Amino acid sequence: MFLYNFKYELKLLIRNKWIQVLSVIIIINMLFAGYNGKQKVDKRNADIENITNKVSQEDQLMLLQLDSIKQGHTVNLSKWRVPTSPMAVGNYHPRVAAMQPHDMAFVAIGQSDLFTHYTRPKVVDNSLTIKHTEMTSPVQLLFGSFDLAFVVIYLLPLIIIAFTYNILSQEKESGSLRLLASQPLSIRNWVLQKVILRFFWLVLITILVLTVVFVINEFSFSENLGAFVSCIILVVAYMMFWFALAFAINLFGKSSAKNAMSLLGLWIVFVLLIPAIMGQLSSSFYPIPSRTKMLNEMRALKAETTKKQDKILDNFLRDHPEYASKDDQGKTSFWHRYMASQRIINDELSLLQDKYDGQLRKQHELIQQFQYTSPAIIVQQSLNAMAGTSSTNYEDYRNQVASFAQQWQDFFIPLLYKNKEFTKEQYADFPKFTYQSEAEVTITTKIAVLVLFTLLITMIGWGAFRLNAKKGLVILS
Amino acid sequence: MISNCLIQTKANEYILYMITTRNLTKKYGDFIAVNNLDLDVKEGEILCLLGANGAGKSTTINLLLNFITPTSGEALINGIDVTKDPIKTKSFLTYIPENLMLYPTLSAVENLDYFTGISGKKISKSQLETYLLEAGLQKEALHKRIHSFSKGMRQKVGIALAIAKDTKVLLLDEPTSGLDPKSSNEFSELLKEMSNKGVAILMATHDLFRAKSIGSHIGIMKDGVLKNNFKTQDISIQGLEELYLQTMNYNEVAL
Repeated sequence: MFLYNFKYELKLLIRNKWIQVLSVIIIINMLFAGYNGKQKVDKRNADIENITNKVSQEDQLMLLQLDSIKQGHTVNLSKWRVPTSPMAVGNYHPRVAAMQPHDMAFVAIGQSDLFTHYTRPKVVDNSLTIKHTEMTSPVQLLFGSFDLAFVVIYLLPLIIIAFTYNILSQEKESGSLRLLASQPLSIRNWVLQKVILRFFWLVLITILVLTVVFVINEFSFSENLGAFVSCIILVVAYMMFWFALAFAINLFGKSSAKNAMSLLGLWIVFVLLIPAIMGQLSSSFYPIPSRTKMLNEMRALKAETTKKQDKILDNFLRDHPEYASKDDQGKTSFWHRYMASQRIINDELSLLQDKYDGQLRKQHELIQQFQYTSPAIIVQQSLNAMAGTSSTNYEDYRNQVASFAQQWQDFFIPLLYKNKEFTKEQYADFPKFTYQSEAEVTITTKIAVLVLFTLLITMIGWGAFRLNAKKGLVILS
Repeated sequence: MISNCLIQTKANEYILYMITTRNLTKKYGDFIAVNNLDLDVKEGEILCLLGANGAGKSTTINLLLNFITPTSGEALINGIDVTKDPIKTKSFLTYIPENLMLYPTLSAVENLDYFTGISGKKISKSQLETYLLEAGLQKEALHKRIHSFSKGMRQKVGIALAIAKDTKVLLLDEPTSGLDPKSSNEFSELLKEMSNKGVAILMATHDLFRAKSIGSHIGIMKDGVLKNNFKTQDISIQGLEELYLQTMNYNEVAL
């Protein structure tokens, strides 16, 4: 029976204009999403390249200026920018701490439209907290980005619903179910085979288009085949969940209109409602303190400390005798006092920042715990992690940038307090930043949960069918 | 429980009842759709079930197809209880409803190939064409998509399916309703041919004249009960009409 079902289902699918239109819609959507992803990644790469080139040019100029100064020439620069001053170099020649896009970054925009992907921490004003969140178009925040993750999580289930909502009901409504049911076959298995065949059809289209999108995005299959396969398995498991849902709804034996409404209702629950409720619960349980309040407190703290910089410097040098000048020529400049107060500000600010970050972390943890309430959350989190655009990735990045900023400061502070000049030879010893993604991408549990969801739903449909068969409601209304 | 449907005749021959019901009852709450129905149709017999709408004719066919389960009693095809082994019993039968709905985007040959294929029969394309021609379909219609077919042409595809499946039992639910006289006659001739080949046929119909012309037996049902069951040859068409009206109490109503 399977071979005949397969052969003729394929013929029926190919001759069905509605199915043709749906297939074209999904292909166009995926290609467009892939193109969008490429645009975003290209822009990100271009931004990083531009800033890296700019830094490189500025470095060349700085080295030339150092040569000139060494040879006794005067350089036409304000005293704040003369490169022999460690603070001038530390502040006006900061390094680029970039978060290079992951190989699969085009799959999910994730948090990348909210957070910056490069920053240049200076010796002073190390306020990453302020600069880390960029302004984003409110319209884009409202509707989200049209990336592959969006197409897979939001649109693909709708296409699956349109593909499958009336497999059994259409036969019932057109009258052909009576003829089918009079053949020596199990209608339940027949529906299952139809669903499986349509599943394979859509899976085939999806895999083909995904592969094309990956090729367009110059994805290295040889180096990252595992990541590609994981992505495909995840998408197929998610599709399997929706097909199981459609199979179960079909087996309830209701009309096409009721099936469509039920499936759309479930789509709203799983894709919109549960993620929205989870987000709302997390912010209700762990409200984030007002950002404006935090910024005001930071400004007040800075103003307070600036007033008593001399006293702070004395205290600082008492706490850090290694920075105290041993000769009588030791002089204290604006920078000496400023940096001493900066340390105190940072210590105080870290408490405020921790409070803010702590709540945010708790929110993420809560979402992580409840991600299994909806397959849509599971897939969104997994695709973000695969694309390297998850909140965990950005938290990693921020921590690494903070650590690098400290290294950068630690490179210049001893020179400042020892009243030493910056030389060309020290340039080679500059701390370097390389972002290392520490977030592990494991999808085994997630796939297992999706399969469990699928089995559970299939069994519910199976049970409903048995009940309806007993009542004689499967073939006749 | 009926162990088998073999009936010993006076000449010590055994006859198999292909369609049998014993005390078959179907209730929907307080409403009794079929009430203690006993039926037997042998190989080569055509039993025409007459009755008004709601008499229980279609319910009887639905019970034999196992589309619905009986409240009590038994329905057997080729001696097998339809509720115990529905897939096996369906391998012996072909069902042609009032409106045979096939797949409109498939041709007649493709539809026949599909339905025989899912029934477990592997038949060559040329053989399928022969069956369709045998069922009275024109050669030029064989590869046309079904959406352009008339009802009569679709019913012929149903007969071709019965031939292709080498069916033993044909269940028909008002198959000629809505057909023009020529198509009805052609269809009746096909049924007679099937009957001559030994197929047991049970046909629910409102058409007394068609029942008289093709049936070997006629049953009249009312309120789920089989009121009369007799050989067609034992009654004239006028007698059948009178008996039918009498059974339905239409004469009393007319008075």
